[in-house]
Amino acid sequence: MSTTTATDLAVQMRGITKAFPGVVANDHVDLEVRAGEIHALVGENGAGKSTLMNILYGLIHPDSGEIHINGKPVHMAGPRDAISLGIGMVHQHFMLIPVFSVGENIMLGREPVTGTDFYDHSRARKAINDLTKRYGLALDPDARMGDLPVGLQQRAEIVKVLYRGARILILDEPTGVLTPQQTNELFVVLRDLVKAGKTIIFISHKLREVLEISDRITVMRRGKVVGHLTTRDTSEEEIATLMVGRAVLLRVDKKPAKPGAVVLKVEDVSANSDRGVPALKGVTFELRQGEILGIAGVEGNGQSELMEVIAGTRRSTGGHILLGDRDITTYDARTERDAGVAFIPEDRRGTGLVLSFSIAENSILGRERSLTFSWHELVLKLVAIRDWARKLVKEFDIRTPSIDVAARNLSGGNQQKVIVAREMGSKPKVLLAAQPTRGVDIGAIEFIHRRIVQERDGGTAVLLVSAELDEVRSLSDRIAVMYEGKIVSIESPDTPEERLGLLMTGGGKAREGAA
Amino acid sequence: MPFASVLFAFVVGAIVVTVTGGNPIDAYQGLLCGGLGIACTQGENPALQIANTIVYTIPLITTGVAVALPFRAGLFNIGAEGQLLAGAMACTALGIKLHDWPAVILLPTVLVGGMLAGAVWAGIAGVLKATVGAHEVVTTIMLNYVAQWLLRFLIIGGPLELAEGTSKSLPIGDGAHLATFLPNSDTLQIFGLPASVYRVHVGLVIALVAVAVFAVLLWRTSLGYEIRAAGQSQKAARYAGVSVRRTIIVTMLIAGAFSGLAGAIQIAGVDHNLTDKYFSDTTGFDAIAVALLGLGSAVGIVLAAILFGALHAGGAVMQADAGISSSLVLVLQALILFSIAANFLNAIRLRIPGLGQAPSAPAPAAVGAALMTEAAVAPPQEGTTTT
Repeated sequence: MSTTTATDLAVQMRGITKAFPGVVANDHVDLEVRAGEIHALVGENGAGKSTLMNILYGLIHPDSGEIHINGKPVHMAGPRDAISLGIGMVHQHFMLIPVFSVGENIMLGREPVTGTDFYDHSRARKAINDLTKRYGLALDPDARMGDLPVGLQQRAEIVKVLYRGARILILDEPTGVLTPQQTNELFVVLRDLVKAGKTIIFISHKLREVLEISDRITVMRRGKVVGHLTTRDTSEEEIATLMVGRAVLLRVDKKPAKPGAVVLKVEDVSANSDRGVPALKGVTFELRQGEILGIAGVEGNGQSELMEVIAGTRRSTGGHILLGDRDITTYDARTERDAGVAFIPEDRRGTGLVLSFSIAENSILGRERSLTFSWHELVLKLVAIRDWARKLVKEFDIRTPSIDVAARNLSGGNQQKVIVAREMGSKPKVLLAAQPTRGVDIGAIEFIHRRIVQERDGGTAVLLVSAELDEVRSLSDRIAVMYEGKIVSIESPDTPEERLGLLMTGGGKAREGAA
Repeated sequence: MPFASVLFAFVVGAIVVTVTGGNPIDAYQGLLCGGLGIACTQGENPALQIANTIVYTIPLITTGVAVALPFRAGLFNIGAEGQLLAGAMACTALGIKLHDWPAVILLPTVLVGGMLAGAVWAGIAGVLKATVGAHEVVTTIMLNYVAQWLLRFLIIGGPLELAEGTSKSLPIGDGAHLATFLPNSDTLQIFGLPASVYRVHVGLVIALVAVAVFAVLLWRTSLGYEIRAAGQSQKAARYAGVSVRRTIIVTMLIAGAFSGLAGAIQIAGVDHNLTDKYFSDTTGFDAIAVALLGLGSAVGIVLAAILFGALHAGGAVMQADAGISSSLVLVLQALILFSIAANFLNAIRLRIPGLGQAPSAPAPAAVGAALMTEAAVAPPQEGTTTT
C-alpha cells in the first residue's frame, strides 16, 4: 500500500477546511478513498463527517482545500456537478415521495418520456429492472413507496443513485434505521456493488458494523482527522479511543443482580398501535426490585406500545398492570409518575423533551404541578426548580454552559442525559428505559449504562427496551424476547446471539416457563 | 427582526407614496405628528395626538394578548374580533339593563360580563377543536361573522336599538362608564384644550394589568408551563401527563376573556353605546399583527400595539396635512404583516453568501414558526416513518 498512485484513488480530498460561525466543522481534513473499496468514515455526532460529505457532494463549499475525483482536480458548484462526476449520496433521512411508486421515485427528475411528453411506464420499468438485476437488488417498481419497509425504501434510494450513474456512493448512517436482519441484507448489497466496480463511502458510528463491512477507516474527532486505519489491523477499542479521545469502556461493568420482591406485574396486557391494530396480544411478565429485564425484538413488535401502556401514555385494551398491589392499569401518565413509574421515552426530541424549553424547564416536565415545584399546583417555584436543575446537571454531568440553555442547543448525548437525570432523579420504583442510548455518543452511552446499573443496584426495577441487541445483552439480568406483540421466551443474558435472533424473528423454541 | 419588518414596510410604503405621486417625507411627517405628536407643522396639539394614540392602543394590547396566548399553545386565534364584539355586546346589554345600579357594582359587572361573553365565544372554538378536531382558524373566523351579524341584529331593529333607523344602541348607564384620567370638563384647559377632549381612560391601566397577567400566567404558573409545552410538542405534553384537550379549551377561554375585556373597555371607556362603526372594526385583526410583531411577548405586544395605535391615529393627520389617503396606514400594516409572515428579510439574508448559518445550528425560524412549531400543523408523514 506504499505506492498508491493518484489514479487508484476514487476520491482525494486535501486540506479541506470549513468554518461555520463559532465552530470549525472541518479543519484541514484529508480523505483518500481508493477505487473499489468500502471506506468507513467514523466519528461521534458533530465530528464533521456530514460536513465533509456534503462538501464532496457539492452541497457545501469549503473555505479552502482541494478535491480530486479519479485523479482529476474538480470544482463543484452544486450537487449537479457531483452527480455528473459519478458521485451519489444516500441520505440518512430518505428523500422519497411516499405516495409515488418505487419506479416514479427512482425516475424522479429524469423520467423517460414518450414522444408526447407522457411518462413512459414501460421504459421506466425496464430501466429499473435492468439495474436491479445487474446488482441483485430485488425491488418491485410498481409498489407504492410508502407501503415498503424501511429496508426496501433504502434500497430504492440506492437504486435511484445508481440510476443517475453513480460510481462513488456515499451512504450517510445507512444502518441507523435498519434492523439487524435488514443491516445484513444491506451489507450483501454493498459487497455486490463493490464487486461491480463501485466505490462506497460508509458513514457510521457503529463500530461493529464498520469493522464488518469496511476495508479502510478514517476517524474524525472535532473537525479533524485523527486516524487512518486499515480495518483488518484494528479493533473496536482502538477506533473508539480515537473517536472519543480517551480510552472508553465498551463493556458494561456490573455485578450479579440481587433481585428482590416483585414490583411490577404485567398480566395478559393487550393494546392497539397508533393505527388501531392490535400491537400487544397478551403480554405477561414480572419485574423485580434490583433487576434489569431487557426486551429484545425487532422494532415494531410491540415494545414501544408495551412501554407506553405501562407508562400510562397509551390505553390498554385488556389485562392488568400491578405496581406492588395497586392496580395501575387505567392510570394516566401523571398518576403513574406520582406512583413511582419513571419513563425514558424512545423519542427523545419529540416526546422526552420540549426542545425550546430550557434545561431547567425540561427538568420538571411532568412534575410542574407537584408540590415540590409548584405552590398549590398553581405558581411555579422557580428557585426550587433552578436548584433542582443545577443539582441534576452536576450529578449527571450534563455539559452545558447554564441551565437556561434550550434543550435544542444541547448535543444528543446531553439531551438524553437531561431525560435520564429527570427520570432517575425522581427516585422511581420502576424505571422504563426505551432506547436509552439511541443516537448518542460513546461517552454518553458509557455514562447512561453505568447509571442504569447504579439504579438497579439501588433497588429500582428496570425495564429496558433497545433495538441494539448488544445493549440488551450487556445490561440485562434477564431477556424477554418479543415477537408480534407477545413475549415468546425469557432467556438468560448469556444466550447466544443466534438464538435470540431466531426467537426475534419468530423461530426457535421458547424455554420452559416462558409465556 | 421585528424592527426590520417595520423598516421594510416603511421603505416600501415610501416607494408606494412616491410612485403614486405623493411626497413620502410629508406623509411620514404627518404620521409622526398624528401618531406621536412630534414634527407637527399645521398647529396640531401634540398632547391630543398622543392621547388619541393611547386610546387606540388600549384595545390592541388586550386583543394582542388574546392572540399571543393561543399562539403559545399552538393555536391560531383569528377570532379576537368576534370575541371583542361579543364582549362589547354583553357589556352594552348589561349596561343598559342594569343602568340604575351603582357604579361600584355595575362597572365590574359589565367588564366581567364582557370577559365571560368573549370567553364563551372563543370557548366554542376551543371545545370544537378539542372534541371533534375542527380547526380553530376556520371556526374562529366563522364566529367573527356570527358576532358581526348578531351585532347588526341587536342595533338594527333589534332589542338594543336606540330608535328606529339610528343603527346604534341605547347608552349604557352612567355607572358603567370607565373614568377618564382627566375630568370631563369643557372649562378646564389642559395643554391649551378643554380637558374633555382627552379621552384616555382607566382602561389603559386594565390593559397593562392584563398584559402583566398574561406574562405571569405564561412564565410563572404551572398552567402556563403546560400551555407552552402543549404548543411546542403535543407528544411531550402527553408524555408529561398534560391533557392537551383541556389545555386547548382553557387557553381559548382565557384568550376569549382578554378579547371580551377589550370590547367591554371600548364600550365602557370610549363609546358608551354600540354603533355601526363596530361593523367595520378591525381591532381584533390588527391584534394578529400586534401579537406576531411583538413576538408573543408582553413587552413586545405593548410596543407593537403602540405602533399600530400610532399608525391608526396618525392616518387622519397625514390625510389632512399631506393630502395622502389614510389608507396608506393599511398598506403599511399589511406590509409589516407580510414581511413577518413571509419571513421575507430572513430569506434575503440567507441568499447573501457568508451570512448563511451552520447546518448544525437551529435554522432561523419564521416568527410564526417560533411560536407555533409542530403543533400547528401535523408534519406530513415521511417515507421513513412507515415501517
